[in-house]
Amino acid sequence: MFNYTFHWNQALKALPQMLDGALVTLQIALLSMIIGMAIAIALTLFRLSGNRLLGGFATAWVEVARNTPALFQIYMAHFGLGNFGIHLSPFVALLVGIAFNNAGYLAENFRGALKAIPETQTRAGRSLGMTSLQAFRLIVMPQMLRVAFLPATNQMVWAILMTSLGVTVGMNTDLAGVTQELNARSFRTFEFFAIAAVIYYVIAKAVTLAARVFAARMFRY
Amino acid sequence: MKTSVLAFGLMAATALTSQAHADKLDDIIASGTLRCAVVLDFPPMGSRDASNNPIGFDVDYCNDLAKALGVTAEIVETPFPERIPALMSGRVDVGVASTSDTLERAKTVGMTVPYFAFQMAVTSNDKTGIKSFEDMKGKVVGATAGTYEAIALEKQVKEWGAGEFRPYQTQADVFLALSQGQLDATVSTSTVAQANVKTGKFPGISVVGNAPFDIDYVALFTNREEYGLINYLNLFINQQVRTGRYNELYEKWVGGEVPSLAVNGVYR
Repeated sequence: MFNYTFHWNQALKALPQMLDGALVTLQIALLSMIIGMAIAIALTLFRLSGNRLLGGFATAWVEVARNTPALFQIYMAHFGLGNFGIHLSPFVALLVGIAFNNAGYLAENFRGALKAIPETQTRAGRSLGMTSLQAFRLIVMPQMLRVAFLPATNQMVWAILMTSLGVTVGMNTDLAGVTQELNARSFRTFEFFAIAAVIYYVIAKAVTLAARVFAARMFRY
Repeated sequence: MKTSVLAFGLMAATALTSQAHADKLDDIIASGTLRCAVVLDFPPMGSRDASNNPIGFDVDYCNDLAKALGVTAEIVETPFPERIPALMSGRVDVGVASTSDTLERAKTVGMTVPYFAFQMAVTSNDKTGIKSFEDMKGKVVGATAGTYEAIALEKQVKEWGAGEFRPYQTQADVFLALSQGQLDATVSTSTVAQANVKTGKFPGISVVGNAPFDIDYVALFTNREEYGLINYLNLFINQQVRTGRYNELYEKWVGGEVPSLAVNGVYR
């Protein structure tokens, strides 16, 4: 029933355009990870602080970010906030949506990583005359980041793949957006989507490998 | 003995080859169902009524076609970007989906003669003060991804070298963004613009004028190599106009002056 002749030469002409899109995809994913990581550290501190308001805020963030679809989060960042007169461009809405999601998941990663570090480490630091903040910053956090690093690369891959949801909020410069547009113009659905899938795969794979090399160099005992 | 074997062999061969020659038109008639790809968030061409049944010009058109073929119609909802995957994966037989007949697309699917023609109109958010097509220069504009007007408008924005173009996945999202003020203006088919403004679901927007794009002729489509079916569809479109059914449907769903489907000075 599947009768379709592939026009690869025509589709491959659009490859430079798609690679430009891939750069935008990578850019959004990286930015969303940096922002997400910063927020996740803050959320982790909030939960450690013992302050009920801050702790509650962090828990609520993590709950919503982890238990609702990313599509919903991105859609809300664009159309939801738009309803209240806050207008984020598709790029920013996508970035905010993914960063929100990243922060939730990374905060959970960090919580798990913290559990892996014996409390005696903090006490040892304190007994050396460090303040509790110093002990966290100089002793616990480096170890926490080390334990959480590889799980965090998972989130990075996830972030790259989530950028494809940007088409729902009018994003047309990332890889998925460019692909959709090429498809609309020529109807060569299968060629363009296949090329896009390969590019996504290569990016995700490259990120995982790079992270592994980085981890092997950075975290030597 | 030998001749009978030969005769049987010939008969079997004919039966087999005639089987293999059954084309899509035969398949549709044999199956008793015509499956149409229709876009249902594109009023008045396709939408859903209060009890969620598909209605619209395209829905009626598909039903007419099924009646002519002597089969029952099945409306398969397909958003704009999914029309071709639906056809290629064999989920639908024919697209009755307001599809512009560009040469680029005709490399992929088989297009019939035009069955409808759209004029393009500019709809703007009242707060922006956009009153014409030229006023859109430098503004944030958008349209439904994958449509004729989206392709034309994006090209125009690039030519202007100012402003921003945003494609949304559905027509409803475009008007929602326009109503919220995320978009300053949009270009859509005038029929769709009027229908959406009239619903009252999108406050603060109005149709302000025509866009100087070419008339958007839309065609039915099916697999490129299905000449038998394409021939039938062409005749069907011709008959719809000849019998006055086209005018009747236009009056029912759109109203006003019926657009001509013929292009002056050239045969198709």
